[in-house]
Amino acid sequence: MKSIFIIARRAAAAATLLASALSAHAANITLSNTMAFHNDVVQVDFTMAAAGSNVRIWTDSWFSGQNFDPGAALWARVGSDFSRLAEVDDDDTIAAGQGFYDTGFFLPALAAGNYRVTLVAAVNASNGNVLSQGFSYDRETPIPLALWNQPTYDPNVNDQKGGFWRLNLFGVSTANRVPTPGTGWLLALALPLLVWSTARRQR
Amino acid sequence: MGRPTKIIPLPAGTSRRGFFKRSGSAAAVLAVAPLAPLTTSAQPVAPFQHGVASGDPLADRVILWTRVSPAAGRGAVTVSYVVATDPGLTQVVQRGVAKTNPGRDFTIKVDPTGLRPGTTYYYRFTVDGQNSPIGRTRTLPAGATPRVRLAVVSCSNHAFGYFNAYRRIAERADLDAVIHLGDYFYEYGTGQYGNLRTPEPAVETVTLSDYRTRHAQYKRDADSQAMLRQHPLIAIWDDHEVTNDSWRDGAQNHQPGTEGDWGTRVNVALQAYYEWMPVRLPDVTKRRENQRAFTFGNLLELVMLEQRLSGRSQQLPATIPTPFGNGFVQTGAFADPARTLLGAPQEAWLANRLRTTGARWKFLGQGVMFAQIKLQAAPLAQGGGVFANSDQWDGYQPARDRVYAMFKGDANNAPVNNCVVLTGDIHSSWAADLTQDPNNPNTATGGYNAMTGEGSRAVEFVGTSVTSPGLADPTGSTAALLRSINPHFKYIQLTQRGYMLMDVTPDKTVGEWWFVDTVDSISNVQTFAAAYEAQNGSNRLTVSAQTTPRPNPPALAP
Repeated sequence: MKSIFIIARRAAAAATLLASALSAHAANITLSNTMAFHNDVVQVDFTMAAAGSNVRIWTDSWFSGQNFDPGAALWARVGSDFSRLAEVDDDDTIAAGQGFYDTGFFLPALAAGNYRVTLVAAVNASNGNVLSQGFSYDRETPIPLALWNQPTYDPNVNDQKGGFWRLNLFGVSTANRVPTPGTGWLLALALPLLVWSTARRQR
Repeated sequence: MGRPTKIIPLPAGTSRRGFFKRSGSAAAVLAVAPLAPLTTSAQPVAPFQHGVASGDPLADRVILWTRVSPAAGRGAVTVSYVVATDPGLTQVVQRGVAKTNPGRDFTIKVDPTGLRPGTTYYYRFTVDGQNSPIGRTRTLPAGATPRVRLAVVSCSNHAFGYFNAYRRIAERADLDAVIHLGDYFYEYGTGQYGNLRTPEPAVETVTLSDYRTRHAQYKRDADSQAMLRQHPLIAIWDDHEVTNDSWRDGAQNHQPGTEGDWGTRVNVALQAYYEWMPVRLPDVTKRRENQRAFTFGNLLELVMLEQRLSGRSQQLPATIPTPFGNGFVQTGAFADPARTLLGAPQEAWLANRLRTTGARWKFLGQGVMFAQIKLQAAPLAQGGGVFANSDQWDGYQPARDRVYAMFKGDANNAPVNNCVVLTGDIHSSWAADLTQDPNNPNTATGGYNAMTGEGSRAVEFVGTSVTSPGLADPTGSTAALLRSINPHFKYIQLTQRGYMLMDVTPDKTVGEWWFVDTVDSISNVQTFAAAYEAQNGSNRLTVSAQTTPRPNPPALAP
């Protein structure tokens, strides 16, 4: 059953990826999708073509507990890995529309470069200062979010069972969700099919 | 249920302050521009003003509760907690994190699982580097269980005095749990019912803010904090947690014209209740259905009954004058079998629990008196007499008969023996044999022999209030008169306040009444008043003696 979830999730992710691979200077980009399991890690790369000011990155998908409580980490590319700049569980002061448990970063000034944001279900914290060290839930058997009692949930209402997430990036140059290996495979499969389908329609 | 234990690194801060705290080696890629001013909040001076509590223990888990008092303007607050087997918290078995926010009135409730049965644990919360008091709790035993000791309380009205009974219970180290049978708090405003202490808010509680404020006041009480810190609580509400003489669709003390929609009031009262009480919701989609069961190994099955909001039919008026006030007889609407106190689903649930449990003793924890109280005596064959209080089970006799049917069994179900009803509500102390026809001395026709107890199907212990006032009866003459009309009562004390102590072993259940000398001031004086027991298989009460505490109980929390 799990593999069906994964394939469906990754197919949806691939579609979103195709639609949201925007490229612009100082763009405002919103990415969204659904997280399926408690130890999923959503990874979004973004670039700063030039130093930027007042860069804001935030979630607004907690929806008073309708969806999981997100946590985020900000990483800077260093060689083939990423170095952690910050990790924030809750910050609802970044933009209007955030709920108490949403997260985000306000970056008054950010140097040009390549960055990555990771989005997890709290409290799946990063294991170390570099991304390749992984996250604290990595070795756990995936639990569907709908069946998981997140440590921060409210037992009185049994909330935070939804997997929807939305990440907003304000003032960046480009942003793309990083395909997981499975997503990459799907993309590799999907793109020729897309080309073939388009060509067939044009005929 | 909370996530099973795993030592998880506490995520970095709960605000932008936390973000910068973890900005480290790669800070150089961040800009050279000065950082924006941080939105810091002042540290709360006393983040755990409302103490800690635990409740609804099972064999492998127990609810841990606290409330954080943050600085104004705070949103999410992350709290860590630790559970250990020693009072010094050196033998840690679980760590975890939880969160709260203004939408939960900053209350915290976690339900750590994977605990060992019949084990005393100590726990503590931490927020922003500040620790809560250390709490102590205990899981339910499993398997062969030689003994259970429980304190039983009800009717704790802050405005009427000091919770000295709570303090005395806090000092007892050998208890498995404290049972609260309802009227944990009262809804009245200043001077409306008790004036020794001033209620907060000053008005009758109607709104969510009102109920939260009142709960907060009760949780700040030092004696309440002492008891809740030392023992797990198993609580059921009665009427005053919402308002007086409530039933499914209204209450005596609810006026829709000035106090709004009843359903709205119930919803906000229960929201505050669940926020502020260490109670586990059986079903979050049915918040009024709060009946739960607790299994103490093979010795005791405790069912806690919901008698106000899920199924109760409206109380009927008592209109027949008697020398003691108006009463009623079991005719007309009082005889309508459609009227219910529990509701059909809960009746079925109760029957199933009683018939299927493997435990020797079955306790029914509930609010209103099960035994009959008559103002004029008569056997059923002669009309049954005149009854006193239509808010009690007397006002729902057909429904009560259905519970008796569970006790007695039928062609398809064996009788259920060793049932003990625990009751609060009426601010006085009573012990009763439970029989459907107490004024009929002929046991061959379903009657009751007051000398031998023959005809009794179960027993009832009614605990007095923690503070709410009883009846002035300095000579005991009123109690004696009531006993003469109601021969199934073995003990009646109408004046004193305190608590009950239940001592359960395979051979017998003993109920003791302990009274405090006053609620008008803080006092350490308590007195053993009386004890009655039901022996295994007897289903009737006899005089008993004070039980001895367990030897070498686990240390109280420091």
